[in-house]
Formats: sequence, structure tokens, C-alpha cells
Amino acid sequence: MNAPSDRDLIVRARRGESEAFGELVSRHQSGVFNVCYRLLHEHGEAEDLAQETFMRAYDRLQTFDLEREFGPWIRRVAANLCLNYLESRRVTAPLDEERDADSTLLPEAVTEVRERSEQIRAALSSLPPHYRVVVELRHYQALSYDEIAKELNIALSDVKSYLFRARKLLAEKLHASD
Amino acid sequence: MHLTDHLADVQLNEYLDNETNPKGRAQIESHLSTCDECAARLTALKTLFAEIESLPEVALTRSLAAPFTRPSNPPVPQLPRWFRLTAILQAALALITIILAAPFITNLLPAIEIPSLTEALLQLQLQWTAWLDFDLLSTVSMPTLPQIPALETSSLMLTLTLVGVSMLWVLGNGLLLRKQLK
Repeated sequence: MNAPSDRDLIVRARRGESEAFGELVSRHQSGVFNVCYRLLHEHGEAEDLAQETFMRAYDRLQTFDLEREFGPWIRRVAANLCLNYLESRRVTAPLDEERDADSTLLPEAVTEVRERSEQIRAALSSLPPHYRVVVELRHYQALSYDEIAKELNIALSDVKSYLFRARKLLAEKLHASD
Repeated sequence: MHLTDHLADVQLNEYLDNETNPKGRAQIESHLSTCDECAARLTALKTLFAEIESLPEVALTRSLAAPFTRPSNPPVPQLPRWFRLTAILQAALALITIILAAPFITNLLPAIEIPSLTEALLQLQLQWTAWLDFDLLSTVSMPTLPQIPALETSSLMLTLTLVGVSMLWVLGNGLLLRKQLK
């Protein structure tokens, strides 16, 4: 028997079958968590924000447009949620205190690839929140400039500017760490 | 754009993001074919893109589906459709039977002879006080109650009444269970 589609699961969840939504979460939790992890660079926070993303999605399920793809939509919700979280944290708490210290805790035998990944994550997490989210939406969610502008409710010129500056900063940080 | 002018970083970014219009794209490609410096900058930018997009997926340490998969209510077994229809059928039959039986009940009702409710209650109370041997209550004089004409009972009438009550019971249950069976 074929597995039910995301749409079927949403319809069932709307009728009160929370298990159907659980199935939907199981399918998309890894993608959503990785969005949060790329933006926050802290495992526990990323899991909490990913959970919060699904909670919000569950609350908004009745108004979800069934013609849309659930996966890309939920990942964009996660990106927005993380942006709001980063913005609020920027005001209330200093950054870089509770980061995953994987790069320092990794055993010596870890591969070069893993180290490089960690450098990229560290470089990403050093960017201002809006830059990070624009990079996330362009590079990992493949949104166009227009789509990013609409999603973040910012001007098209800001998207271009954030993306350009973010890449410049990333290149500097990654080359500096070479 | 002159071939001697180098491409701006913004142009290269937009070119790699496929955000350049076809005309601009052709101009950029024409320039890149003749300018090693810009071609090298484009390659560096491509490398950066590849690096950014090379990040591996990280695994979760817990399932985020848990809050939604905990059974809040035990699953209600679904009854077969034919069984659910019987409830409606029962209710309909009961209603029809009551309507058909109504004239007979109306005709036969006066023939039933049963003690009036007041008399029955009085009798019950007297027996109760006698059993308790309660002096105060036994001396209480009951008020004179109006006489209610006695009804004659017959086995046919009792049977009809019983059938009517049964039908009402079925009708009531059918209606009550209707929503649940849905």
C-alpha cells in the first residue's frame, strides 16, 4: 500500500488525528531541524526551535493552503522563526556564549571535511541574523530574490545587498581560517 | 559594457543566482570568455557557493513527532456501515409503530382499571410508617384526595403499552446513539 501523501496527512490531522500530524513531523523534522541548526549553530536551541515550528504549524493547520507543498513551507516558517529568535536574542543576550563547541571538542581523528563543515557553520553563525536567513533561503532552500523578499517582507534591493555582503563576509572568514 | 571594464561583484553574484536577464547574461558570458581576471573571480565565487552548500545534514537527538503521536484518546472502533444503519432503521420503525398503535391505545386506555397514583402512593406510605412503627407519622391524618376514575386493565392493553414503551426505548436509544455511531 502506498504511503499517504503530505496532503492526506494534513487533511486527517485537520479532522483531529494528531497521529497523522506526527507522521508529517517525522517526515520533515530532519529538514526543519537542519534549517534551525544552520541558523543557530546550537543543537539544543535548534531542536527547541524546530519543535516550536511544528507546534505553530499545527496551530495554523486549518488555514494552510492544501495546494502548497508542506516541506518548503515548513522550512520557511522555521527560517522566519529562527530569525525572530536571533533578533530577540541579539537584544537580550550576547552571542557566542552557548555555541556548540564541536570544533574544539572534536577528536583529532576527525576528517578534514568535518572540520571544514564546522568552519563554515561557525562563519555562518557569525553573520548578522538577516544575512544568515538570506543565505539560508537562497542556498539551502533555493528561493529566488523575489521569493526571499516576500518571505522576509523586505525590499528586493535589501535581499541583493544582504546576500552580497553575507557572501563577502563568509569568503573573508573562510579564507582567513585557511 | 566595454570589454575592458571588469564585472562588478554584484553582477557575478546575480549571474550565479540566475537573477540576470537573458541580455545581461549574454553580455557577462561574452566578457568572461575574454577576461581571465573576471573568470577567476567567478570561479572563486562558485567555490564559495559549493562550500556553503556542502554542509552535511545533522542528526536529531530526539523525535519531534513525540508530542503528536502520544495517543490522547483510545481509538474508537469503527462500526460497520450496515450496523450503523440499523440504528436509523430502528428509530424509523419505532416511530411508525407508535403512530399506528396510537388509535388502539386511545380506544383501549379508558378500559384499563388500575389504582390511581395517589392511592398507590398513600398505600405505600402507610406501609412504610407501619414498618417503621413510627407513632408520630401514624397519627397524621391524610387529607382527602379527589377521586380519580379507576381504569380497567386487560392483558391486551398491558401488552400494547409494553410494546409502546419498548418502541419508545428503541427510538430514544437510536436517536441518542446516532451521533456516536457516526
